[in-house]
Amino acid sequence: MAVQTPPRALSTTRPAAPKPGAGRPWMERWGGLFFVAPFLLLFAVFLVWPTINGFWNSFFNTSLAGVKQEFLGLQNWREMFGDPAVWSSLKNTLVFTAMSTPPLVIVALVMALLANRKGLLGWLLRFSYFAPFVLPATVVTLIWVWIYQPGFGLVNGLLTSGGFAEIDWLNTENRAMLAVVITTVWWTVGFNFLLYLAALQGIPAQVYEAAAIDGANGRQQLFRITLPLLSRTTGLIVVLQLVASLKIFDQIYLMTNGGPNYATRPIIQYIYQSGFTSYRIGYASAISYLFFAIIVIVSVAQFKLFSGRRDAA
Amino acid sequence: MTTITMPTRSAPSGPVEPRWTYPKVASVVGAVILAVLWLVPLLWALDTSLKPEPETTRAPITWLPQAPTVEAYRSVIEQGDLIRWFLNSTVVSVLVTGLTLVVSVLAAYGFSRTHFPGRRVLFGLMIAGILVPPQVLIVPLFQEMTGLGLVDTYWGIVLPQVVAPVMVFVLKKFFDGISRDYEDAARVDGAPRWRIVWSVMVPMSRPILVAVGIFTFIGAWNNFLWPFIVTTDPSMMTIPVGLANVQGSYGLRYAQIMASAVLGGLPLLIVYALFQRHVVRGVGDAGIKG
Amino acid sequence: MTNVRPRRRAVLGGMLGALALTGCGALGGKPRVREWNLFGGGDGARLLQIHQQYVAEHPDVRFSATTLAWGPPFYTKLAMSATGGRAPEVATMHMSRLKGFSPTTMLDPIPVDLLTAAGVHESDFLPATWNRCVIDGKLYAVPLDQHPFVLYYNLEICKKAGLLGPDNKIKTVKGVTAFLDMLRAVKETTGKYAVSVDTTSPWRLWYTLYGQLQGEFFSPDGKELVIDDAKALEALDLIAKLASEGLTPRSANYAALVAQFTNGEAGMSFNGEWEVTTYQTAKLPFSMAPFPVVYDVPKFQGDSHTFVLPHQAHRNADDTKATIEYIAWMLKHSVGWAAGGHIPAYQPVVKSTEYLNLKPQAEYRSVAPNVLYDPDAWFSGSGSQLENESAAAFSGIATGQATAKGALAQFKAAIQKLLDTPSPV
Repeated sequence: MAVQTPPRALSTTRPAAPKPGAGRPWMERWGGLFFVAPFLLLFAVFLVWPTINGFWNSFFNTSLAGVKQEFLGLQNWREMFGDPAVWSSLKNTLVFTAMSTPPLVIVALVMALLANRKGLLGWLLRFSYFAPFVLPATVVTLIWVWIYQPGFGLVNGLLTSGGFAEIDWLNTENRAMLAVVITTVWWTVGFNFLLYLAALQGIPAQVYEAAAIDGANGRQQLFRITLPLLSRTTGLIVVLQLVASLKIFDQIYLMTNGGPNYATRPIIQYIYQSGFTSYRIGYASAISYLFFAIIVIVSVAQFKLFSGRRDAA
Repeated sequence: MTTITMPTRSAPSGPVEPRWTYPKVASVVGAVILAVLWLVPLLWALDTSLKPEPETTRAPITWLPQAPTVEAYRSVIEQGDLIRWFLNSTVVSVLVTGLTLVVSVLAAYGFSRTHFPGRRVLFGLMIAGILVPPQVLIVPLFQEMTGLGLVDTYWGIVLPQVVAPVMVFVLKKFFDGISRDYEDAARVDGAPRWRIVWSVMVPMSRPILVAVGIFTFIGAWNNFLWPFIVTTDPSMMTIPVGLANVQGSYGLRYAQIMASAVLGGLPLLIVYALFQRHVVRGVGDAGIKG
Repeated sequence: MTNVRPRRRAVLGGMLGALALTGCGALGGKPRVREWNLFGGGDGARLLQIHQQYVAEHPDVRFSATTLAWGPPFYTKLAMSATGGRAPEVATMHMSRLKGFSPTTMLDPIPVDLLTAAGVHESDFLPATWNRCVIDGKLYAVPLDQHPFVLYYNLEICKKAGLLGPDNKIKTVKGVTAFLDMLRAVKETTGKYAVSVDTTSPWRLWYTLYGQLQGEFFSPDGKELVIDDAKALEALDLIAKLASEGLTPRSANYAALVAQFTNGEAGMSFNGEWEVTTYQTAKLPFSMAPFPVVYDVPKFQGDSHTFVLPHQAHRNADDTKATIEYIAWMLKHSVGWAAGGHIPAYQPVVKSTEYLNLKPQAEYRSVAPNVLYDPDAWFSGSGSQLENESAAAFSGIATGQATAKGALAQFKAAIQKLLDTPSPV
């Protein structure tokens, strides 16, 4: 934290302006709180309170229907650890994360390398790569469900006209997750692309000029200069992407509703179903906390890893 | 979770490669192929939306509409809900963006420039808040909104989205990097602190505020989970939620579904096309993700 | 929810409410009726027409209808709106969902005096139907219709296949062999499939077959799962056989079911009777019949749609009166609804010549007493968890990804788990 000059020192240099605080030590001491207050109020009401309340509820059999609320002790937690649906949906979340993160990083890097150019072509490339990111999840999934539709969808239309058998992508157990991942890469890779592009544009031209003078060709410049200089950005993107992928819900809920045979249902959807579809607020709260714990562990681990690497560099 | 890349932009650069070489041509071709791949789903949606309904389910598929029609658009707009959702999305996104910026700038200034008892503890608590995924809160937050009577209201949709500790953190770091000389000058002139925030800090951090604002707006416009939870009344839904929940057509009407998808995605696509420069530069300035 | 917390929240809510930007209050003197339904198929198109007539006849009511995505999304939203206190005035609900919805807290009872005043009486319904709507001595739903699982058949294809009788109606088949022979004849004619089915949710087909085998589901006290493995497997094996012989597609969702029957890739379709309007609009030469009695007894999976009043925090008397009048009007005009496929619950309409002359809608009305409702449990009913679990377990049967034995074991384990879960209602 930066060393800061106490504002009190200022007031002595300013005898002609008695109003704002010189005569009011209370104001000097607590005045700063007013700046933080609006945020803190919202933070307390819409983040801290529900966080505590959710934890509290996880020890009760609270029902959405509002019929009863009895203290259960650890019963929800015990049920959760023995519930195969919790573990299978957690596994789906992890599988999605493992499948989606590598292409979301690599494709973004390739795009950034390709689109780092000026002029109209650069503008068009940047537009095409990033455009899907500004679409709402619903629009994205409406389009892709239609693309995957058997019989008369685009992908299967191409497959059958090429003489291949059609695949019911979203209703086949070992294809549905892949289909969701493809959609996700198309949709969100643009953000990582922009992060890479910004990093690329931050590399000073002199570096390349010097390399060119030393006789380095394009490939050598790419592998010896560009990629090493992007390693920090890659670390940042991986961190952000892992946490974002763990929070998967929208696309899967809208495309497969967790099916077929729950093969794609992520943990957040199980929380939603337990709490709102089955009315079991208490149980859903317990699962929320399991998920919360995982996010915290992953975030902290990455933070340690990432900041450690930065120190070493 | 967030790192800031300070605005250290030099002249736009790239590998120095003066002539048209084989790898250079290949990279242009590759870039264009990738761009086409990325545009095809959008074009296919547009294509379908211009077909008459019976043509959409024909096998084998037809590439371009044989009898192009805007019938699907007419039906979708006539059903009326889309316009209402568009208004809701606009109100919600503007409120979220405006309030987030105001609240976060004030808080960031407070944490960066003022002293009050408990400041460090509160800042630490806020950092811890970054770790809480909003997805974890859907259940207790819905209960809370029920108790507050805020289900199906704009405030119910907006307020939880305004709590953005990441933003406060990013802005605080940025403010920390601004020299105090400017403020001191203003303070000597007797300006109260809140005026300093407005007349010194805000203008000095304009690029980052624009970037943060743009991404908050996109995030709010596209947010699905929370508006999906907190709105049940179709007239209060935002575009993503309404399109997912309410059926405007009966039986299967792919042209209509695609027409509503096109209309639902169009506003931000236009905004993005107009402000692409700011979006791209914004990321460079602030490297942030909400 | 505890008794203490809401009050404290209500204070803050009041403060924020003062800032509220919504215009949700009652405007002007006209009563308001907002209706939610889940009719996304051909019946939804029919409902739209009926509502247009209702609106034209009732300029004094501010009426709006919304169709939400069928099944879990609809019921989840409805429950959340009842919890949130700003529910619509009236909604449709499957009769099989009524008990599991927690009617005493999530619904408001129907004021029978208003219903009587609007000209609708208990005697206008079959006693079995009416009694299912009464919970704890109070009426919570008004039945609108009944909708069995039926057989659609393409007249041209079936004529070519020699399956039509002299009256141009499909010849009744009985027993597995005759059933399969009929389907094989259709397949030969279409060159593709015999029947279009939704393989992603085979519940209706399976429960129909299982019911025809006289299989039981829960013990009479509802506490034990008593599925008869042999019968359950027999029904599943038949579904697998239909797919492996190519009589049905191996993988098809609801969209494909409708499309394949429409474009003639399938000469028959097993489905609920609600797509009549869709096929009529497509000018398809088709008719309908009761689903064949493949096994021992005539049983046909089905359900009823009812009208309910979702719980509102502040129910307005004028709105409620207009709502009940709307329900009564809908019942009396349910011939229009029957045209969309459903069998009316309101007996004066069932007996009317107008209904009896509806073709093909009156062809299957005889099955009404043999409609098999979903098992009775808080997690059961149309679009319920029980149906979801059946879809999850059984959707692999037709594709060949799952064996009948494995699927049944999975399904039974899932239902047992639900039975063991303490009821939240």
